[in-house]
Amino acid sequence: MPPEVKSKKAVALPAKAPTARKTKFQADLAPSEDSMVRILKAELQMTSNTDFLSDALALFRWAVSERKRGHRIVSESSTGERKILLFPRLERVAPEVTLPHIDIPWTDKELESLAELASGQPAEPTDALIRAMRP
Amino acid sequence: MAVTIRRLEESDEVDGFDCGDEPLNNYLKHYAWTNQEKVSIGVTYAAVDESAPRIVLGYFTLATSSVPRERFPQKFVRGLPPYDLPLILLARLAVDKRFSGRGLGHAMIAEALKITLRVADEVGCRCIITDAYPDKAGWYARYGFLPLEGTAAISPQKMFLDVRTIRRASSIDSFPTERE
Repeated sequence: MPPEVKSKKAVALPAKAPTARKTKFQADLAPSEDSMVRILKAELQMTSNTDFLSDALALFRWAVSERKRGHRIVSESSTGERKILLFPRLERVAPEVTLPHIDIPWTDKELESLAELASGQPAEPTDALIRAMRP
Repeated sequence: MAVTIRRLEESDEVDGFDCGDEPLNNYLKHYAWTNQEKVSIGVTYAAVDESAPRIVLGYFTLATSSVPRERFPQKFVRGLPPYDLPLILLARLAVDKRFSGRGLGHAMIAEALKITLRVADEVGCRCIITDAYPDKAGWYARYGFLPLEGTAAISPQKMFLDVRTIRRASSIDSFPTERE
């Protein structure tokens, strides 16, 4: 990867709160990964590895936070075809949907009504329900 | 306001919560955490603002349940699966009245329905049932909940929403315009 240009010249900084010290990050990339980084940087019109890593980190952080909330990450084509991202490391942070089991008291009439609804054709979704299910 | 909905945590601030209904306030303040973590009879999800992520602005509680097949009237069992009917109970949903009218109720029921679909995908469930106060039944009906007949006069109204309807809603790509 091209090295970043760093100035060694000492400059007088205006008086302000000291900024947090930056950490150097070094990675050993396989040639194919290095090539991928270069291609992505070109596509995204990035010149700096720092900017590239910063954006990648922001995206990864978002993906982790969404998956931690149990949300799935979905891509949707212009024709409506959806693909769900399955990334093994992300799946490790996803919570299991475990809900406890309880007994509900039912009247006979409620059970009859429930059976009638559950055994029939499902109703069409309402506008509010469609809006609620938007990704 | 950037709202996040997540599981209730022990350090969440619930003492100031006031939805205007004492049983719902008391549940959050005294029972929700215990029921979730100790006796496992309901999982509570909290709506919080990202700028004050410990203050609970709204909550809902979910649990699973099932109805044994033999409890259904004979004339309906042929249309049902040959085993107990699994379902999700939306036991409570409340918004702090200081934050009402900001779409929190919509955000929370949307999350509850999305969780219902995930449960249906992972372990199976046929419907979601809620216990609605009579004056809130119309609000649930907007989302397609149908009232069950036979609820005792002093009890909340049990309402039903089919998972197939929720799944259909989630697969619709063009969204209706906002209506009031």
